[in-house]
Amino acid sequence: MFAYMVRRIVIFVPTLFITLTLIFVLTRMLPGSPVASLLGGQSVNSAMLDRVSQDLGLDRPIFVQYIEWLPKILTGTFGESLFFTKPVSEVLMQRLPVTLSLTVFALVVTIVVGIPLGILSAVKRGSFLDYLGNIVSSIGMALPPFWLGFILILVFAVDLKWLPSSGYRPIEMGFWPWLSRLILPTIALSLSQIGLIVRMTRSTMLEVLDTDYVGMARAKGMPEWIVIMRHALRNAMVQIITAIGLLFALGLGGSVIIEQVFALPGLGELITTAAIRRDYATLEAGIFYLTLTALVVNLLVDIAYAYLNPRVRLA
Amino acid sequence: MTTKDNEISTARHRSERRWLRWAGRNVMLTVGLLMLILLILFTVLTPFIVPIDAFSISAASKLQPPGLDHLLGTDELGRDQMSRLIIGANISLRVAFAATVLTAIFGISLGMLSGQYPLADIFISQISDALLIFPGVVLAIMILAALGPSEVNVVIAVFVLYVPRVIRTVRAAVIEYRGADFVMAARSLGASDLRILSLHIFPRAIGPIMVQLSLGFSSAILVEAGLSFLGLGAPAPAPTWGGMISGARDYIRTAPWLMIAPGAIITYAVISLNLIGDGLRDMLDPRSRSIGQ
Repeated sequence: MFAYMVRRIVIFVPTLFITLTLIFVLTRMLPGSPVASLLGGQSVNSAMLDRVSQDLGLDRPIFVQYIEWLPKILTGTFGESLFFTKPVSEVLMQRLPVTLSLTVFALVVTIVVGIPLGILSAVKRGSFLDYLGNIVSSIGMALPPFWLGFILILVFAVDLKWLPSSGYRPIEMGFWPWLSRLILPTIALSLSQIGLIVRMTRSTMLEVLDTDYVGMARAKGMPEWIVIMRHALRNAMVQIITAIGLLFALGLGGSVIIEQVFALPGLGELITTAAIRRDYATLEAGIFYLTLTALVVNLLVDIAYAYLNPRVRLA
Repeated sequence: MTTKDNEISTARHRSERRWLRWAGRNVMLTVGLLMLILLILFTVLTPFIVPIDAFSISAASKLQPPGLDHLLGTDELGRDQMSRLIIGANISLRVAFAATVLTAIFGISLGMLSGQYPLADIFISQISDALLIFPGVVLAIMILAALGPSEVNVVIAVFVLYVPRVIRTVRAAVIEYRGADFVMAARSLGASDLRILSLHIFPRAIGPIMVQLSLGFSSAILVEAGLSFLGLGAPAPAPTWGGMISGARDYIRTAPWLMIAPGAIITYAVISLNLIGDGLRDMLDPRSRSIGQ
């Protein structure tokens, strides 16, 4: 197990490096100077542009910029954003909890609703419930999550007035004000993921229910629910866990747009705003954090997977 | 009626029945295809039935609810929403189609290269795996931030997002078959790599590739909508579906129809394409049937 963990972490290093390089290359590519964007409406002459570029180090060769940038981003000092008065790392630290609460909530809802629904669909294959599950998951995967968000606002905030429509309150301001503003975004974000996990759980369970050891357990006269929970589900879980890592990454990606809908001041909102005004430092740092979170979760999932499945760690 | 006529009519009858039987076996594929044809007919034929004008602004007719003058109402500038939806359908399908064609061309050729030649594989696999690391639309956002928002750049962003998946699928197929007997046989007859890849391996891999591409097509519609919602798609006044949703947010209380229609049509398009994808999978691989059985 230890050997596997070491191997897995060693693979992690080049992946991280390639990701960083891609982020750097893409954010520095092509037109649209951030200086012009920063100076915005002011009437600028080229001399002033040059001076600001020089102050920010944007006039040096791109390779030099890269070499200087790499250690900085790895140590978490992302430099100064052109648009915030505080360091980017501080801005990020304020926003990370928002995104994490949203994605973790969505993940929990997805697991709690999706996996049982998938199991039921598989066990009651061909039944009304199976068809219903299939229709729900098909529609769930087809609804644009951001649009669903607005529809939820329309129904639950505007019409029924049960929940606030948008914004964010830190948990220090009270549990309900915090939670109530996360309920609608969580539903909007998790519905498409529920669709995915239902299908995935169903097909995995169907495969497992078809195996000889499940037949054997049944032949021994075990109660069906024990066969399902102890023999089938346990083996199916091995595959479902891999899907959970994937779901978390999906949720992080989805949160980028959902945060815009509900005016949640999270990482995603930061990234999209930075993208529109070409705020390199913030864009890089935000994307790096988001991707790093996804990578680390995947690493943990892989390790959990190996722990559950000896065939992987001994291979 | 002569015997010959009779024969023709039974033959036609038989072929009709064959179609019906095929449709009965492939329910999802049939429904999906019909839904897609309906959407395309809607965008193509409507301009012949009602006048289409997605751009002219009129203060007098702003924010009108759905009615006889404007079947789906008007937006805050008095533009006819149905016309905008139809032009939006053109943009959306065009972007998704172009991105899918690009993905197919590059995905298949790069996937073959990387499956066949280990040296190319190191390079191609590293990059495509790295592209897969980025969660969701983040990569697309980054590309559009670099290139600037436009329809062509959305195509590029969606392409970069989905091409690694096709590369992987094709690569796996090439690796699976490259040691197979029929490949050996072809090689011993002097067939070139290109001939083996395109005439012997590709036809066997076409099923999973088609499934991957059709699901990529529907994802492309969702991604395009999401990006234009964020303001990174085709710039205004182009009536993109995502842009329409973004514009409707300020009028969600007073003019909810502006919000409902574009999302509904996105959902419809994506469902139809997902049905086609699932239907293709069932048709090509009966083991993975997703309903019943």
